[in-house]
Amino acid sequence: MLNMALRTFRRDWKAGEVKVLLFALTIAVMAMVAIGSITDRVHRAMGEQSSEFLGADYTFESPRPIDDAWIERGRNDGLEITRSQSFATVLSSDDNFQLVSVRALDGKFPLKGTIEIAEKPFTQGVVQQAQPKAGTIWLEPRILGVLGVEVGDTIDFGSIQLTVDGVIVAAPGQASEVFNVAPKVLIHIDDVEKANIVQEGSRLEHILFIAGEPAAREPYIQWLKSQKNPTQEITGGKEGTPALKAALERAETFLRLASLISVVLAGVAIAVAAGRYSQRHFDYSAIYRCLGMQIRQVHKLYLWQLLMIGLIGSGLGLALGLGLQSLIINQFSDYLPKPMVGISLAPVITGSLSGLVVLLGFALPSFLQIAKVPPLRVLRKELLPRAMSSWVIYLLSIGVMALLMWWQSNSLLLVGILLAVAVVTYLLIRLIAWFIFKIGVWLGKRGSLPVRFGVGQLKQYPAFTISQISAFGLAFIIMLSTVLLRSELLSEWQSQLPEGAPNHFLVNVQEQEVEPLESILQESGVSTKGIYPMVRGRVVGLNDMTLEEALDENQQRVGAVRRELNLTWMADVPEANKVTQGEWWSESDVADDRAELSVGEELAQRLGLEIGDVLKFSIGGLEVEGEITNLRSIQWDSFQPNFFIIFEPGGLDGFPASYITSFHLPVEDKGVLNQILREMPTVTIIELDAIMEQVQSILDQVTMAVEFIMLFVLLAGIAVLYAVLQVSREERLLSATLLKALGARKKFIRASILAELILLGAFSGVLGVIGGEVLVNILYSQAFDIDLVLHPWYWLWVPMISVGFIGIVGWLGLRHLLNQPAHQVLREY
Amino acid sequence: MLRTQELTKTVNSQGQDLTILSDVSLTVNEQDTVAIVGVSGSGKSTLLSLLAGLDLPSGGEVHLAGEPLHQLDEDERAAVRAQNVGFVFQSFHLLPGLSALENVMLPIELKEQDRAKERATELLEKVGLKDRLQHYPNQLSGGEQQRVAIARAFASEPKILFADEPTGNLDTKNGNKVSDLLFDLNKQLGTTLVLVTHDDRLAERCQRIVRLEGGKVVADNAVATQTEATQAATAEQ
Repeated sequence: MLNMALRTFRRDWKAGEVKVLLFALTIAVMAMVAIGSITDRVHRAMGEQSSEFLGADYTFESPRPIDDAWIERGRNDGLEITRSQSFATVLSSDDNFQLVSVRALDGKFPLKGTIEIAEKPFTQGVVQQAQPKAGTIWLEPRILGVLGVEVGDTIDFGSIQLTVDGVIVAAPGQASEVFNVAPKVLIHIDDVEKANIVQEGSRLEHILFIAGEPAAREPYIQWLKSQKNPTQEITGGKEGTPALKAALERAETFLRLASLISVVLAGVAIAVAAGRYSQRHFDYSAIYRCLGMQIRQVHKLYLWQLLMIGLIGSGLGLALGLGLQSLIINQFSDYLPKPMVGISLAPVITGSLSGLVVLLGFALPSFLQIAKVPPLRVLRKELLPRAMSSWVIYLLSIGVMALLMWWQSNSLLLVGILLAVAVVTYLLIRLIAWFIFKIGVWLGKRGSLPVRFGVGQLKQYPAFTISQISAFGLAFIIMLSTVLLRSELLSEWQSQLPEGAPNHFLVNVQEQEVEPLESILQESGVSTKGIYPMVRGRVVGLNDMTLEEALDENQQRVGAVRRELNLTWMADVPEANKVTQGEWWSESDVADDRAELSVGEELAQRLGLEIGDVLKFSIGGLEVEGEITNLRSIQWDSFQPNFFIIFEPGGLDGFPASYITSFHLPVEDKGVLNQILREMPTVTIIELDAIMEQVQSILDQVTMAVEFIMLFVLLAGIAVLYAVLQVSREERLLSATLLKALGARKKFIRASILAELILLGAFSGVLGVIGGEVLVNILYSQAFDIDLVLHPWYWLWVPMISVGFIGIVGWLGLRHLLNQPAHQVLREY
Repeated sequence: MLRTQELTKTVNSQGQDLTILSDVSLTVNEQDTVAIVGVSGSGKSTLLSLLAGLDLPSGGEVHLAGEPLHQLDEDERAAVRAQNVGFVFQSFHLLPGLSALENVMLPIELKEQDRAKERATELLEKVGLKDRLQHYPNQLSGGEQQRVAIARAFASEPKILFADEPTGNLDTKNGNKVSDLLFDLNKQLGTTLVLVTHDDRLAERCQRIVRLEGGKVVADNAVATQTEATQAATAEQ
């Protein structure tokens, strides 16, 4: 049987019978391998980048010293581990003091990313991966102004003196700590003990920075997780950068989706091609059967064909996919995350195996049909194999699709969404098929003869028409959703860091300094987003009860009620906030005896606060009450100062306030910061420009990756459209030739073919738009957390593009064939 | 070799039972040549498909080479065909992707017999297509295609050959050539031949003519001996 199968395959190959199916499979495997590898590589490279913010792949924090054996174990596993201690202390030089947050290191820092050290404040630094030598200290620029020192000077650190060796321009770990008021310094870990600065009972965090290959790293992290106690905390790359977390997660979801989509496209192409292949083999099967072959033998023969097509198609697709992904990564390396990581085996294996599985799931039903042709077909051509229950076919395809999606995405939610869409699409297709019939009847009465003939072609083979429309429609659904999702993500990311967003903050501005500060800024041409008051106070009571009475144990542990909060008053809702419950105060109802309050909804939820609750604050020994009138959602990744609690204007009158302001300052204007520090030495400057630039560059790269994958999905979609047109080309060619043989003129033939193609395009386009809107909105709400949006503009565009593409490509594929002599064409079919 | 008893075929067409064949009882002995004739719609092709086991009767019995076809399932009937039956069709039914040689080799291969290539080549030489071995069906004329089909039909050395209007798609000259080949090979190899035709001259070359009308056998006559019939046909030419 194998011999015969090989011979059959060779003959089919020569006769061009397997080419379309092989083409579809090759495209499918190529797409899966290429998209899979590219997304995997981009994804891992992005992971590397977010690690750079953390300074490591993971950090492990503990309030108590960490067992040396744990560190030893990690290092033995081949991991890089830098130990550090973190605490707050006061630095002094002459009569100047500054509270700082110290990070003492025992090894290289950072393990991921770089640290930028300069010799003068507010200048470009040198990028390095290092640690301060014992006896030296690296400082954030604002400390130099406060302490009145320069690089090379010494400062007091506990009982010893340290030499200022450099200025920290940018360092990892800043993102989550930007609004920590205490500026950061780096020292060598040995100096901590020498300085005698840490006493029994001092608040000290022990931190491990951990980096290494995933194979060694992940088991170690798992082990740490099993060992750690509740006071110890493990943080991975993404969690360390709230500003990027959402963006990266969405990008990942998008990329995962893209690879799922390639599976669907592959399935469609293969199903269409396999249907065609099996139809073309019905005659063969009937003759085989007539000559005495048994069903089992015919099954076996065609399963061998399927296997051989699978192996060759997967092999070709794999080779092409690997070549393509490396070409693409090299070509676009400027726009992709750097450094790019190497290719990994998993997506390659998944891609090639998926090819075989897709082939089985989508082609097997058609192939099984072949052997079921009644042998009587040799006498009665119209006999077809008994149709398999369509439920069996759909269940098999959907099952295989679900399996593959789950395999590729590991996300049941995404799989569920896509399957739901598949069901909706199926129903839509039935509806549209019904429509075609109705329109066909309508046109059959009204259209000109060629149009009626063209529409008649669609009506004559409803199953083939439906499979074409569903394939085209699905390709359009997928392409449209990809385009829409990409636009939505991009505009979201742009709004996260708009051009000219404030990248410098001044805090701790005293009331009498507000006016001089405004004039300095005005002279330098810097425009601010306003100067806000900030009052530090504690929450001490809720609804006439103390916190101990009002809150349960867990609630009492919430950070916001254990420390001083920054309170403010504002007339309008701050930019990055949205009122989610209650109403913001209007200008007319200025504070009566009890101020209105706006509370962040997360905090309210954790403390069980509701609108109407009354909070009591202690501010500098005095007490004040306010009533909650609204709750706000706060966008923590906005790089804006955010406040848990906002009073209505006037609510904090009479309490000592410091002020805060923010502005956008390009690098070349940074000199103005020195002037501010000279004139108002107590003002604290928070520079976010470096980190924002880094975030921006990551967002740019993620954007590029998304654009790029979208382009690839579009190409894969076009390949499917093209494959389906190829498959249906013969049908059209044959009917056109028959027409020609019957004496129809070219004009007539052209009109009838175009009518058929245009109608096909229009229905596919409509299906694409409806399905695309449904899919994209389900994805928005379920996977991306975006509100419902409709895209009426595309309702016009997609059908037009669909008609244009299917019309033009379909026509081009036929045009030159129509010039062949009719008898030649007819003899071949 | 072939025996039917009260063979009946009815089909359901638009809610009505339509009787295509009723009570056909025939016996065909080994090496007989039988023509089934009748006008279009008289049930000729249906009878042929039942005799060859391509279809199942609604009633009655068919025995082919001792096997009760009416009791066998699809695959068992296929096995009987593989061992005993050859076909020649009106529309040739060559496999378009296979060369002339490969088409003839196919039944030999299906029977898993040796020397498929040599035997196929021999047969094609006998039908005068020595120079056409590697041609594909679409490169052959209708007459040539039917000669390949005849070579294929005899390739597996069948005990019985069914021919459905073997000359129906051919002009007189090619038709004669094909029927000459058919009867010559039949004689040489001692095959039983059952052919369906509405060409009286072709029918008269058989030993026996069975005439169908409205699904019933209305005449079953032995004609003059095969030699006489052949002589008559040759004389006419």
